[in-house]
Amino acid sequence: MNHMKPMNRKAHQVEVAMEKGDTEEVVAMAAVVGCATTFDPGWEVDPFLGVAGLCQPMEADLYGCADPCWWPAQVPDTLHNYPDWGTGKDAATKDWAQLQAVFPE
Amino acid sequence: MRAHSASVIPLRPLLLSMAISAVPFLAQADTKGAAEALLNSKCQTCHLPTDKGLNRIDESRRTPEGWDMTIVRMMVSHGVELTPEERQTLVKYLADTRGLAPEESAAHRYLLERDFTLIEQPKDQLVADTCARCHSYGRTGLQRRTEEDWRKLVHYHVGQYPVIEIQQGGRDRDWWEIASGEVPKRLDKLYGLDSEAWRKWLQHESVSAAGQWRVVGHRPGWGAYEGQATISSNGDDHYSIKLTLNYANGKQETAEGKAVLYTGYEWRATVKQGDMNVRQVFTLSPDGQTLSGRWYQAGIDAIGGRFEAVRDGKEAPARLLAVEPSYIKAGTTQQVTLYGSNLSGDVSLGEGVEVLKVVERGTGKLVVEARAAAGAKDGVRAVKVGDSQLDKGLALYQKLDYISIEPDQAMARIGGNGGAMPKIPVQFESVGYANGPDGKPGTADDIRLGYFPAKWTLDNLNAYAAQLKDAEYSGRLQEDGLFIPGDAGPNPKRKFGTNNAGELKVTAVVDDAGHKVEASKPLVVTVQRWNDPSIR
Repeated sequence: MNHMKPMNRKAHQVEVAMEKGDTEEVVAMAAVVGCATTFDPGWEVDPFLGVAGLCQPMEADLYGCADPCWWPAQVPDTLHNYPDWGTGKDAATKDWAQLQAVFPE
Repeated sequence: MRAHSASVIPLRPLLLSMAISAVPFLAQADTKGAAEALLNSKCQTCHLPTDKGLNRIDESRRTPEGWDMTIVRMMVSHGVELTPEERQTLVKYLADTRGLAPEESAAHRYLLERDFTLIEQPKDQLVADTCARCHSYGRTGLQRRTEEDWRKLVHYHVGQYPVIEIQQGGRDRDWWEIASGEVPKRLDKLYGLDSEAWRKWLQHESVSAAGQWRVVGHRPGWGAYEGQATISSNGDDHYSIKLTLNYANGKQETAEGKAVLYTGYEWRATVKQGDMNVRQVFTLSPDGQTLSGRWYQAGIDAIGGRFEAVRDGKEAPARLLAVEPSYIKAGTTQQVTLYGSNLSGDVSLGEGVEVLKVVERGTGKLVVEARAAAGAKDGVRAVKVGDSQLDKGLALYQKLDYISIEPDQAMARIGGNGGAMPKIPVQFESVGYANGPDGKPGTADDIRLGYFPAKWTLDNLNAYAAQLKDAEYSGRLQEDGLFIPGDAGPNPKRKFGTNNAGELKVTAVVDDAGHKVEASKPLVVTVQRWNDPSIR
C-alpha cells in the first residue's frame, strides 16, 4: 500500500487491517449461512462481517448489482434470468417498494 | 422404497439408471401416470432419452426443494408452463425417484429447515471456495450428480453469470482449469450420483405417517411446548394433520393443514397455526416411529420452533421425551414436569434429586415436586419413569456460572414499509451454563442447563455504529428478546440516506436468585434478499 492512499473510511479499514496483519484472516472468515462472501463490498456483510462497508443505501446501486449478476444468489440477475425485474422501476431509490421477490411461492 | 402397508402399492426396487418408464416410485398409478405424462410432454422436449434415462434429469438426485428450484428455473428461464399442481406432481415424482437418502441429506438439514443462524463447516475447502462464495455450501452438498453433470453445472454457471470468474479470483490463478477440471472430480468423489445409501433406501420398506403422535418441542421466545398430533392419510403420500400445542408459558395453539411425504421420509406440511401460516419441514424416521424437524412462519423463517413427535396410543412404546424445566438448583425445591407417551412406573430424577411427591400423574404428563440436595454434584441427570429413560433429563447446578445468547449467529433483515419482503426478526434467548468439573467456562465439560429468563438491552456495536446511530434506526428489542428490525428502503433521516442496516450489540442479564450474570453478542441488521429460493 506504499503507493496508494485510502480515500474513504472503507479503504482505511482495509489498510488498517493489512497493517495489523488481519487481512487474510478477515477474508477467510465465513459469513452466516447463505450470505455472499464475495466481499467487494458484500451484499449482506462486508469483509469485516459488518454492514458499515456496504453500498448504502443499497438501492442507490441496486441495478449495478443486478445487471452484471454481481450477487445472483441474492439479487435477481437482469442479464439472463430476470431481464424485466426492474422494468418501469427506473429509480430504485424511489421505486424500490415495487420490486418483487423472484422465487415463486 | 417398497410399500409396507396395504394402503400404499407395492414397489419394485429398480436401479436409478434405468429408463424412466421403469423407475421405482411411491405414488399410485394415476399420479405416476400424470407425472410421467408431464415429464414426456414438458421435460422430454429438451431432455431427450439416452441409454441412461432422460438426459440430465437422470444424471442427478436432489431434495424436494432442490427439484422445485430446478423446475422453477425451467419455468423462469426456459418458459416451461406448469400449473401449481403440475409443479407439485413433478417435484413429488422426481424427489421419490431421484431423491437423497436420509443420511445424504442429514448434514445440511438446516437449509431445508430454513434455520440460518449458523456458519457452515464445509466438508471440502476447494468446493467451499468454488461454490460457497455466492450461496451456501450445503446447496451443493444437497445434490448428487455424475462427474460430467457436475462439470456441466460449472459451465452453466459461467454461461449464466459471466462475472463469476472475476468474483472467484480468476485473475490470480487459472480459475477455469480448476473449476472445470479439479472441482467436478472432487464433487463426484464427495457427492457422486451413485451411492450405497440411495441403493439401500430404494429397497427400504416405506411406512405411513398416519396415526396419533405425542409432540414436544421448543419455540424460541415462547419456550417448551408439548401436545398431540393426529395425522390421517389422504392416499398417495398426502396427509392431513391436526395439532394441539401447549406451551410451558401457558399459551396454547391449534394447527391444521396438509402435508406431503416426499422420498419416503421428507415431510412437508403447510398448516394454519394460531394466526400464522406455518411450514413444517420434518423427517419421518425409517421405522416410522418418530417425526422430527423444524417449523417456521411462512415468509418469516426466523420465527419457528423445533419439533419432535413419537407414536402415541395404547400400542405405542413408552417414551419419556422432555423434562421441564430442564434444570434444578442445588438446595432448592421445585415442580418438574415430565412429558412422554404411555408413561407408567416410578419416577427417578437421578442422584441427589429426591421426588418429594407426585402432584399429577397421567400417561403423557407427570408433575412431581423435586428437591435437589444442597451438596449435590453438578451434572445432567438421566430421568426415568418406569423403564423409560431420558439421558439428558435434568441438570443440577450449584451456581449459574455464565450465560450464552442464542441464536449462534444473529442476523436480522430490514423489510416492510410497503416493500415486497417482510421484516426478518431475531428471537434471542439466554442459555445458562455451569462450568463443569474443570471449573473453566467454554470447555467441553461445561454443563448446559437450559433457558433462563433475561433482561434485554440494545446498544451500538462500535464507534462507527454510534456515529450513524444504528441503535436508534436499525430496530428495537422487545422485553421478551424479540428484535424487530427497522423499515426497508433508504432512510432520508440517516447520513447518505442509508438503509436502516446496522451493527448492534445485544446484552442479556440473568438474575438467578440475586446472582446476576451478563452476556453480549453482536447483531447484524442487513438488507433484504430479492432472490430467496427454497435452498439458499
